Amino acid sequence: MPRLREKTKKAEILSLEEAVKRYVKDGQVIAFSGFTGFNRNPVALTWEAIRQGRKDFHVLDRHGSCSSWLLNAVGAMKIYETDWMGWGEMAGKLDINLNKRYQRGEVILEDYSHGAIAMRFLAGAIGAPFIPYYAPLGSDLYDDKYDALGKAGLRDGKHPKISKKKYIQMDEPFWGDGQVMLLPAARPDIALIHVAQCGEKGTARWRGIGTIDKELVFACDKVIITCEEIVPESELRKEPNLNQIPYFTVDAIVECPYGGYPSAVPFYYDYDAPFMRGMDAASRNEDDMKKWVDEWIYGPATWNDLIVKVGAKRLLELKADSTTGYSTRILRGKKPAPRVTMPLSVARSGY
Amino acid sequence: MKKSIEELMALIDLIPDEPAKVGEFILPELMAIAIAHQVRNDDIVFAGTGLPMVGIMTANLTVAPNALLIYEAGICDGKTMHVPMSVCDQRAANMSSTLGGLVDTFGYYLQQHFVTLGFLGGAAIDKYGGVNVTSIGDYYSPQNRFTGSGGNSDIGTMSHRVAYIILQEKRRFLEKNDYTTTPGWYCTDWKDGKWKPKKEVWAGTPFAESGPCAVVSNFATYGFDDEGMMYLDTTHPGVSVDQVKDNCGFDLNVSRLKGETAHPTYRELFVLREFVDAELIFLPQKVEYPPEIQKIIDG
Repeated sequence: MPRLREKTKKAEILSLEEAVKRYVKDGQVIAFSGFTGFNRNPVALTWEAIRQGRKDFHVLDRHGSCSSWLLNAVGAMKIYETDWMGWGEMAGKLDINLNKRYQRGEVILEDYSHGAIAMRFLAGAIGAPFIPYYAPLGSDLYDDKYDALGKAGLRDGKHPKISKKKYIQMDEPFWGDGQVMLLPAARPDIALIHVAQCGEKGTARWRGIGTIDKELVFACDKVIITCEEIVPESELRKEPNLNQIPYFTVDAIVECPYGGYPSAVPFYYDYDAPFMRGMDAASRNEDDMKKWVDEWIYGPATWNDLIVKVGAKRLLELKADSTTGYSTRILRGKKPAPRVTMPLSVARSGY
Repeated sequence: MKKSIEELMALIDLIPDEPAKVGEFILPELMAIAIAHQVRNDDIVFAGTGLPMVGIMTANLTVAPNALLIYEAGICDGKTMHVPMSVCDQRAANMSSTLGGLVDTFGYYLQQHFVTLGFLGGAAIDKYGGVNVTSIGDYYSPQNRFTGSGGNSDIGTMSHRVAYIILQEKRRFLEKNDYTTTPGWYCTDWKDGKWKPKKEVWAGTPFAESGPCAVVSNFATYGFDDEGMMYLDTTHPGVSVDQVKDNCGFDLNVSRLKGETAHPTYRELFVLREFVDAELIFLPQKVEYPPEIQKIIDG
């Protein structure tokens, strides 16, 4: 069914609690900003949604993250349309809780590929009902019997956020360029986005990679933004080429320092690899997992209290260098980071 | 006295570029360097997280200084100073040419066929280089469920050449995968459900001739013949052909065996240990240099 998007939104500045209370509902189709568990995950928003008891989410996202990990830690995810059920790459690849829940039949998992989900969000963002994409022709991703949402009877046209088909393979009709896959647009109910800066009107900016957040903002019906700091719109408009999200797409703004922790916000703080490894370790044992959930999700009274609990020592280690955007003080491996002033590849052979 | 990075950098050309002896390097180092040897100087490389990334970064500092590195999250030609733990790590974005997002990497770069070499991992592989990163056993109630495609099936089908790094066991090197996430040189044409050469399924697209070119395992390296069939190319030091065959689930062609996998050179090991993974994130342990090399490093 077509979507009507003619209205300009007027973003409101809300508290974390109020934003979740007003916009995050049980059973929504939801998408998260950032990339895997490492970059700009809307962790505070997800954390608050869980604490308010929100559940049964249909997550439509290109891969797992700290946010999807939290949802599975408490069993609040029901459908996962994704391409990668890992969450932490080098800090914890497969989401153990998600895997357990999937094996028990508590989550419907619909597999796509990374590029395919990116293209679906692009289609959603530009208002195209579907998009043609080549990859991966011949993959079992496009075997009809592995259409999990179809098998569950959810592609009957009665679910406005679930397309009637997973894909259509066809001969490319304009140029004779072989066979191509048509993929349905992604049209989630709500996007939870964490950025560096947001103006009081809703214009938003991040530094570092873009992942697919701009597409997310345009593809989703509602958009909640948490930011490290609310800054004057006038400041952001001095260099508008550095802004990515136009204000008229934003419903709510929340100022939430460290709102992406333990993922990184480039030029603000680095990802906390030891903490993420601890999350992965906890998920390998039921008792440890329960303890972790009690300690980190339900223990702190507010997000600020959680950050206080993380402690100044760790936050100092994670504080990003203003020149590189990351920290060289956090111990990520078995040896500390060396002090480097110039990439070796550039020093040896230029650009 | 610990040397600064600048002092270590000045030593690179003094370290001999001669093959190290067995016992002077560990298996993950051999594998990372075997990956590096696949990279050509004019390649545009799209690499996954983990050992592929480490190998490609090593190549960039040794055999292929002009190779351009693409990282999945939107990074074009990052010039890293510290090894990234993820393809979205700000470390990977350092001094890059441009920073975009997934539409840039999968659309503008990959589907436009700019990417000449993809380097990926996999849980299992078939004899035509088709890769499974999804599930073993029944799809809906799997014995083992893995992460799923991620970028594997996009990069693995649309890069001109694709190389995989895979842990080799009999149940991972297969006649046919339980689930083909990333098609190799043979795949199913879902229009008629038939198993066909990739060239036919992808005919008319820019990617019909693109596909697997090499596999690096913990036992050996492999190539692909004109029919798209995997063959044994080199065996790692101390590994016999029988051992390779015992750990392979299909009838492997061993007639084209060239000999032993090239040992990493001292210079390559120095670059890998002191610069690429100086924080020991990917490599499991610190390995000592032989005395004559340590003497050069100590000055």
